[in-house]
Amino acid sequence: MDQDDRKLINDLKDENRKDLAFHTLVKIYQERLYWHIRKIVMNHEDADDILQNTFIKVWKSIGNFREESSLYTWLYRIATNESLTFINSNKRKSFVSMNETSEILMNNLESDPYFEGDEIQLKLQKAILKLPEKQRLVFNMKYFDEMKYEDMSKILDTSVGALKASYHHAAKKIEEYIKGIE
Amino acid sequence: MDELNNISRELSKIKKENPFKTPDQYFDNFSARLQMKLEAEKKIVPAQKNRIITFLKPALGLAASFALIFMLVYWPLKTYMPNRQANNTETEAYDMQYINMVEEIDENSFYSLLDEPNGSAELTDDDLESYLVANVSEYEMYNETKIN
Repeated sequence: MDQDDRKLINDLKDENRKDLAFHTLVKIYQERLYWHIRKIVMNHEDADDILQNTFIKVWKSIGNFREESSLYTWLYRIATNESLTFINSNKRKSFVSMNETSEILMNNLESDPYFEGDEIQLKLQKAILKLPEKQRLVFNMKYFDEMKYEDMSKILDTSVGALKASYHHAAKKIEEYIKGIE
Repeated sequence: MDELNNISRELSKIKKENPFKTPDQYFDNFSARLQMKLEAEKKIVPAQKNRIITFLKPALGLAASFALIFMLVYWPLKTYMPNRQANNTETEAYDMQYINMVEEIDENSFYSLLDEPNGSAELTDDDLESYLVANVSEYEMYNETKIN
């Protein structure tokens, strides 16, 4: 963990400096976490809600952060869990299967006023949405965020080997999907 | 790794860029909106009652399950077969009363009861004495008294 993060954590755990430190934390991580969440839920409004909930959870539980992992992976872990909980909760509420969830996310994507990619970008996003949940997460984190497998391993609680295999399968499926619709 | 490079050929043709955007000045305003939500959260103090309910939740859940099972089994039985148990008990009591009555009377009284089915004949002490004299020996009576 670098010195800046260590100081930030110490300030966050100090009641007198917590507010200011939290403001700094939000400014540093809000964009990265937003894009991570947005790629999971595919909708700006939902991503905004989840990002707020993520930071509120951070505010409430910073005292329990044991500094075994880096601040960055801890925040990503909370954001990922919040996003998956949101998707699963919606799935339960509307009694839909995983395939139907993928369809709903695809409809969200097509009707999203904040999507400005071209046709090939839309194809790529549709191909990603066809992937199983874990492979989708791994592909987005590796392909777009260029995250290290070691960090991903801490966030997703999965071995590096399994993550590499997931990315390999995901990339293969996406290639096949794109070739198939060309 | 070569295989991964081969299968990523199509992917490499796609420009790696973020196709999503946000409303104008979203990130500039986010911190202020979050602060408002956080202030609202700080005002919500978890009530004592809620903590007690959380603590008792498993026990309440278990009790509710038992109540539900009881309602599902006992209530339909009671509703659709209300007299089953009562009838059985009444029948048994009536049979026992009838047997006792028959055992306690002598043959003449028994036949007179048969002749008068609607009558309200009752077993008197005299009836009992005459039945005992007629049906039980002195030795048996002595034995019964000794045992009791």
